[in-house]
Amino acid sequence: MTGTPPGGGSRGTRGGVAGLDDAAIPADRAIPDDAAVTVFADGAVPAETAPGRGTSRLGPVGWLRWGWRQLTSMRTALVLLFLLAIASVPGSVLPQEGVDPAAVSQYYAAHPALAPILNRLSLFSVFAAPWFAAIYLLLFLSLAGCVLPRTFRLVGAARQQPPRAPRRLARLPMAASYVTPLPPDEALSSAGRLLGGKRFRLRTGDGWVSAEKGYLREVGNLLFHIALLALLVSVGLGGIYGYKANRLLVTGQSFANTPTALDVFRPGRLVSPSNLQPFSVALQRFSATYVSSGPQADEPETFDAAVRYSAAPNSPTRSFELRVNHPLTVDGVSVYLIGHGYAPEFKVTDGAGNVVFNGAVPFIPVEQSGLTSEGVVKVPDAAPSQLGFAGVFLPTAVDENGQLVSDFPAPQNPRVSLVSYAGNLGLNSGQSQSVYQLDLSGMHRLSIAPRPLAVGQSMTLPNGAGKITFTGYRPWISLAITYDPGQLPALLSGILALAGLILSFMVRRRRVFVRATAGPGGHTVVAVGGLARSDAAGGFEAEFTELARELRTAQDGSPSAASPPAAAGSGSGEAGQPEHGTTESVSSDNDQSLSIREGE
Amino acid sequence: MPITINHGLAAASNGFLLSTVVLYALGMLAYACDFAFRKERLVAPESAQVSELVSVGPAAAAAGSAAAGPGDPGQSDRSSAAGASAGAGLWPTGFWMRTAFGLTCAGLAAHLVAIVTRGLAEHRVPWGNMYEFIAAISCMAVLVLVAVSIRLGAYYIGLFVLIPVVFGLALDVTVVYTPAGSLVPALNSYWIAIHVTAMIVAGGLYIVGAVVTVIYLIADRNERRALAGLSSRTEGLMMHLPGTTVLDRLSYRTILFAFPVWTFGIMAGAIWADHAWGRYWGWDPKETWSFITWVVYAGFLHARATAGWRGRRAAYIQLAGFSCLMFNLIGINLWVTGLHSYAGLSG
Repeated sequence: MTGTPPGGGSRGTRGGVAGLDDAAIPADRAIPDDAAVTVFADGAVPAETAPGRGTSRLGPVGWLRWGWRQLTSMRTALVLLFLLAIASVPGSVLPQEGVDPAAVSQYYAAHPALAPILNRLSLFSVFAAPWFAAIYLLLFLSLAGCVLPRTFRLVGAARQQPPRAPRRLARLPMAASYVTPLPPDEALSSAGRLLGGKRFRLRTGDGWVSAEKGYLREVGNLLFHIALLALLVSVGLGGIYGYKANRLLVTGQSFANTPTALDVFRPGRLVSPSNLQPFSVALQRFSATYVSSGPQADEPETFDAAVRYSAAPNSPTRSFELRVNHPLTVDGVSVYLIGHGYAPEFKVTDGAGNVVFNGAVPFIPVEQSGLTSEGVVKVPDAAPSQLGFAGVFLPTAVDENGQLVSDFPAPQNPRVSLVSYAGNLGLNSGQSQSVYQLDLSGMHRLSIAPRPLAVGQSMTLPNGAGKITFTGYRPWISLAITYDPGQLPALLSGILALAGLILSFMVRRRRVFVRATAGPGGHTVVAVGGLARSDAAGGFEAEFTELARELRTAQDGSPSAASPPAAAGSGSGEAGQPEHGTTESVSSDNDQSLSIREGE
Repeated sequence: MPITINHGLAAASNGFLLSTVVLYALGMLAYACDFAFRKERLVAPESAQVSELVSVGPAAAAAGSAAAGPGDPGQSDRSSAAGASAGAGLWPTGFWMRTAFGLTCAGLAAHLVAIVTRGLAEHRVPWGNMYEFIAAISCMAVLVLVAVSIRLGAYYIGLFVLIPVVFGLALDVTVVYTPAGSLVPALNSYWIAIHVTAMIVAGGLYIVGAVVTVIYLIADRNERRALAGLSSRTEGLMMHLPGTTVLDRLSYRTILFAFPVWTFGIMAGAIWADHAWGRYWGWDPKETWSFITWVVYAGFLHARATAGWRGRRAAYIQLAGFSCLMFNLIGINLWVTGLHSYAGLSG
């Protein structure tokens, strides 16, 4: 709970984590209300208190209280909110490690002086940066510090009765009066029945009925903010107990979900790598179709991967059509199709005549419109010296001004072109190597010009180094494998947040008062007054008019709907004055709890 | 299975969208003529304020008009309030305003036909690239304009909403134009109908909110200058506009509608991203900016409930949120590559 402020005793916390209300302006004490001299709905003029005032008397506890009050004030929350927005900007402008590591490397190459500085500031991983975490953790702490006390207050308020009816209902923002033949007490009890039937909370007194409705607004408001806290916790849980992985899978291959079989494995802090869900996936077939003509030519139309999978080593295998937007879910883990390419197949015979390599090598696309792909073939078993090839695969090779380029992503005229090297591949140097790059430090280029090979064609290497044959190609797919136990809680939190938001925007908290007094001629004069605390979305005037009409009809016996309620003036004469002034005028001549307040 | 584009329908759609621009442009001129030639004030600012505080249902409108007896100044003031800006089904008054509103409605009809025929030509939801998205979001903005005009009698915003719509659509059919085509596999999901539709609805509402906020800022400056005894060049214009309270409330209400829809759109996008890319949130530039937009608009809502931040400051925050929205729509599509690079402009 927010303590009594050390600077000067008074009430009030941040009235709204956000109020999102506007008729009841929270008495945000941290903000000296300089610009708009508004009288608050609860009558509290924020005379209070530049934060530092009177701090000389503060002990450590006082300082803590003061700091906590600052942190949970609406102004701090607003500042943190905007800081969060501003802090996100570099994450979308600069390349991010978590999104596109290759772009970060490119940035390093392009800006060698600047990049290390940016890296020190965590600007390549903004959303994992400590300063970013500091902002959102402070924001959520501020939120919690506001939401929890308000929840307690809401529970308290739910048990309280509505306030007494003010003396002069005509001074309320909404007012009407009529004359009924019923005696005052009967008129009141009929009004009570009608309002109670509309699920107003009632309180009766001598000559008046007071009714209140719309507590769900605050419920929705709190639900929204608590759900946001839950969302953050869910995201955090997912990051700790979940993992992400990638795997490139050539047609005909299979893999089991173990860290060694995965190309990239990013476990959360509390994931034990030996205990992953033991499923396996095999790729049987992959097909892609592309737009063949028109302005969208070369763009993909469909990707379709036929896989077989089993949930555990001894479980039955099942078939699944893996597509974009159609992931495979097995054992709580989702497997997504996120990319594809070609793996040309080669057969290498070395100088001694032995077949030292025979298989498919995944090449990585370097452009999308023709899927021109690059890759390397490493043949460590070749004798007399190891062989290496750097190649380009063109799915649909066409001659463009003497240069061979790929014109279409589907393999209509596949060609592969290889540059050959011999020497030491450096695989035993102890340093890990990318399978997509050749370490040329121990290699020399063989004096044979690369020429495009069609399927089945071979290239004989000079000096009896051997022969390489382009035997075919197979498609490969890349899979993203994610396990995120925070997903469902995050979804539920999101739905609750949205429900709370809508509730707090749609519901208005309002009060209706009825007073009946005996008038001349045995008639009873009934006055009805209405007050909406927060009616941003509008509609209370209509509701009140209808209510007043119903009340009158119920007590009249005759449906005289046309008679308008004589609505009192708004009380705000001058242009531009916020309507809250009107509620204030009410609270001033009534007991302290008339105007609806957040707190106390 | 390759999808055949119906080129006849696609051409018809282009024709309808072109007519839409022309009709909106004419409507814009007619709105301007209304401002220029209207003799009486369009809205009585003070009384309008009272009733614009809340939306008044038919009962109140009927009550108001019933009470509008001649020689009863107090009551007639109230009824004019109800007549000016409250009640369902308020029709425009004056030749130019009627013409303007008629042209706007005709343009809207052509706009809707253009979008529907485009969708039929492509056999899909017609918001798969930037051209289609701009066409849809401007349609939503005009839809909001028409709804707000009829429901709240806020005809005075017509000119101000149509100006950005006409310019946006004119750029859309010339610079941004993308021929009808099929969707890339990543977009080919029923989630496009949910996620992008929500973003379009929220976007249209945000546009109207921002436009009203700009008028609010001008009106506020005017009012403050008037209080200081200064004149301003926009006085003539302000003659036909309601007071700041009404404008502030109107823009706030559009945001109250837009914000939950935007929230829903982000959530739907997250679910879709989870289906398509294997994570529900990955700080892709588009995601980041929709988050920034959300945060700034949330800041606006909070600021509006905080003393000392309401009024002009809150208005500036809302405009900042709108700038983020526009940057996300235009800037991110054109300058930043990410998973959401579907604008269809780079290919």
